[in-house]
Amino acid sequence: MLVLISKRILMALATVILVIVLSGTLIHVVPGDPVTAMMAQSVTATPEAMAAMRSRLGLDQPVWQQVLIYLWHVLQGDLGTTIRGNEPVAMLLLERLPNTLTLAVSGLAIALAIGIPLGFLAAVHRGRIADTIVMVIAVLGVSIPAFWLGLIMIQVFSLKLGWLPVAGSSWRNILLPALTLGLTYCALVARMTRSAMIEVLGEDYIRTARARGLREHQVLLVHALRPALISIVTVVGLVFAYLLGGQVIIENVFSWNGIGRLAIQAMLERDYPMIQGFIVVFATSVVIISMLIDILYGFLDPRMRQR
Amino acid sequence: MNHLRQYASSLLAAAAFSTGLGLSAAGAANLTVARSVDADSLDAQKASTTQSLQVTNLIFDTMLTMGKDGSVHSGLASEWSMSDDGKTYSFTIRDGLKCHDGSIFDAAAAKKSLDRALDPATLNPNLSAWGPITGSSVDGKALKVSLSEPYGPFASFLTSIQAAFLCPSSFATSDFKPIGTGPFKFVSWVRNDNIQLEANADYKNANPLIENPGKPHIDNLTFKVIPEAVARMAALRSGEADLVEPSLEEATDLKSDSNFKVYAAELSGQQMLAAFTWKIMPLDNPEIRKAIGMAMNRDAYANIAFEGLVSVANCPVAPNLFSTDEALCATWGAKYDPDAAKAIMEKAGYTDEKPLTIKLSVHKLPGWDQMHQIMQQDLAAIHVKAEIETREVAAFFDHMKGENERTEGVPVVWTMGMSGVDPDYLYFLWKRPGFVNMGINEQLDGMLEEQRKLSGDARAAKIHDIEKYLMENAYAVPLLSPGWGWLMASGAKVEGFKMGFMVSLLFNDVTLKQ
Repeated sequence: MLVLISKRILMALATVILVIVLSGTLIHVVPGDPVTAMMAQSVTATPEAMAAMRSRLGLDQPVWQQVLIYLWHVLQGDLGTTIRGNEPVAMLLLERLPNTLTLAVSGLAIALAIGIPLGFLAAVHRGRIADTIVMVIAVLGVSIPAFWLGLIMIQVFSLKLGWLPVAGSSWRNILLPALTLGLTYCALVARMTRSAMIEVLGEDYIRTARARGLREHQVLLVHALRPALISIVTVVGLVFAYLLGGQVIIENVFSWNGIGRLAIQAMLERDYPMIQGFIVVFATSVVIISMLIDILYGFLDPRMRQR
Repeated sequence: MNHLRQYASSLLAAAAFSTGLGLSAAGAANLTVARSVDADSLDAQKASTTQSLQVTNLIFDTMLTMGKDGSVHSGLASEWSMSDDGKTYSFTIRDGLKCHDGSIFDAAAAKKSLDRALDPATLNPNLSAWGPITGSSVDGKALKVSLSEPYGPFASFLTSIQAAFLCPSSFATSDFKPIGTGPFKFVSWVRNDNIQLEANADYKNANPLIENPGKPHIDNLTFKVIPEAVARMAALRSGEADLVEPSLEEATDLKSDSNFKVYAAELSGQQMLAAFTWKIMPLDNPEIRKAIGMAMNRDAYANIAFEGLVSVANCPVAPNLFSTDEALCATWGAKYDPDAAKAIMEKAGYTDEKPLTIKLSVHKLPGWDQMHQIMQQDLAAIHVKAEIETREVAAFFDHMKGENERTEGVPVVWTMGMSGVDPDYLYFLWKRPGFVNMGINEQLDGMLEEQRKLSGDARAAKIHDIEKYLMENAYAVPLLSPGWGWLMASGAKVEGFKMGFMVSLLFNDVTLKQ
């Protein structure tokens, strides 16, 4: 087990370093730099002044040099300061990370709370009307764009009913975005739960359990659902990792002040330290979550420890 | 009887007291403004976006102010003068000016702010616009500023939201605090979420665009960030926000709804224009460029693409700015005449079977997309086949830098916008190498340099020469004004809201009707 954990930690470190180097190089390939973006709204700088600003910001150095300097700073725990506003990137990300985590956890909780029972129901009633209804809901959930669902939620709950505010980051504001995320991802969870349950229900030990005269609900909940949930752990982990970085559209629609919105703004402004800071945090989160899933699998399934 | 009188008096006093309390509690007027993006900084000497400067302009004042006609008025300076050689300016700072933290704003404070604005370490994006300043000194109540050479746009620039004067306590430590002398005090800022301001009780107004001489009527002002236009409109309709940036489509609907008001920044100083990669054949031929200009139906762009919420502009400089004469410019520019334009193109050998193929290079903005589609049709009607290439703004300008240097390949017609409070933005655009390498030639460089050294009528005449040169040689086709972020909408209860130069937001006169 210790070997497995050590291997995973080393691989995680290598992955994060690789992501920093690749992303640091790629953002310089994207046309436009922070100074051009800064001057886009009002044309009040001579080319000489723009060159001087680039030089002060270190943007005139070769890309490889900029990337290595950044990597060196990150390894020392310094994510740098933003080009716009000159604020510490780490502080800005840490301020918003709780908002992003709260929304991701809430969205995931709703997705699981709805998705697992639906998937379970569909698997148990496979081929019947309940299964069809659940699968139709799942297809709809996967197909409906999250931003559209979000806007509909605003129209109904904020404008028509006046129950919830349109924008902000207080506790009342989390209900609509969390529900939108939950409804979007519950479809995926339901489908995964259904597949895993169907697979488990075909196993010999389920037949044995039934033959031994166990009650059906014991067979389904204890002997079928529990092992099926192990394979859902992977999906949950990946969905959570995706929610950390990929909920930017929901953050925009509901004006939820998370790191996704910060990243989008930074991308438009070509604020390199901010973009790279986001990538470091996001990549690290994904890598840590993947690592935790691997380790958790090791605990849940002894066969994994041998690999 | 005395008892009765006393009792009545007590009742009245109690009633008055309670009424007073009620008024003070319910009377605190709060205004919430929802915008699409947040400020990038509240340090007015580092901020670069309009959204940032809209807020800093409420916290900080400018040395001078500008009237509707582009005339310069007093601001932080009660009086100002320029030496005969145009190289020295003296600004007498108003008596009794207090910063939001209670410190005094005097000539010494003004000098400290100026020194910081000019310090390269500040990374001031507007550093070049301050002009050739060589030094400054304090002479009693006056701040004296020395220039290496005359700089005609200087007084105008000092009225702009880019030229805010900060109280020295703002930057006394490395942790910047937005402390100014403006109508609103900074309270708090949660980045990407909200900015809270409160009215400055000591404020004395000098801006001719504002009627209220003292403290703003509203007490608290909140800027909220709501990126989605639909959500902003929901916030306005639900009363969560009082004033919002509407989408272009929504603005048209709101205009016809008596429950709402739509504001367009007529004094924006914004100007949209079309330009050419004129080093590439056949756009090196002024006749071809003229023909393309003549094919552009600017009325359609204004009325269809922009829903009639902008105006056709005739000059390369925005209306209302110093020296801008729309009628005069109309005599120089290409008039809409698709038949004549087609004849020019046919004479040059282009037909439907053998059209001139160009790229129409643009960046994405509401209204602009529709304008480019109409423009594409206009060009097709004169045998010009235009392929629209849309880029995000920073990538677009980076791309155009290369395109404007090219001397061969597919020619490009491109559009852009600029804003300012003085025609001197022509200098930043067209003086070689120019903004994204759009500089033209030595003759134009000379004229652009010369206008900076002049003032008054002589400068106005020189600016007209420059505009005439640009338009008669068809280097630029003026399109519309304004064109981006210039719309606001409010509920009917908001009264007295105004928009000033460079889309500044003026809340001093705002009252909320109950």
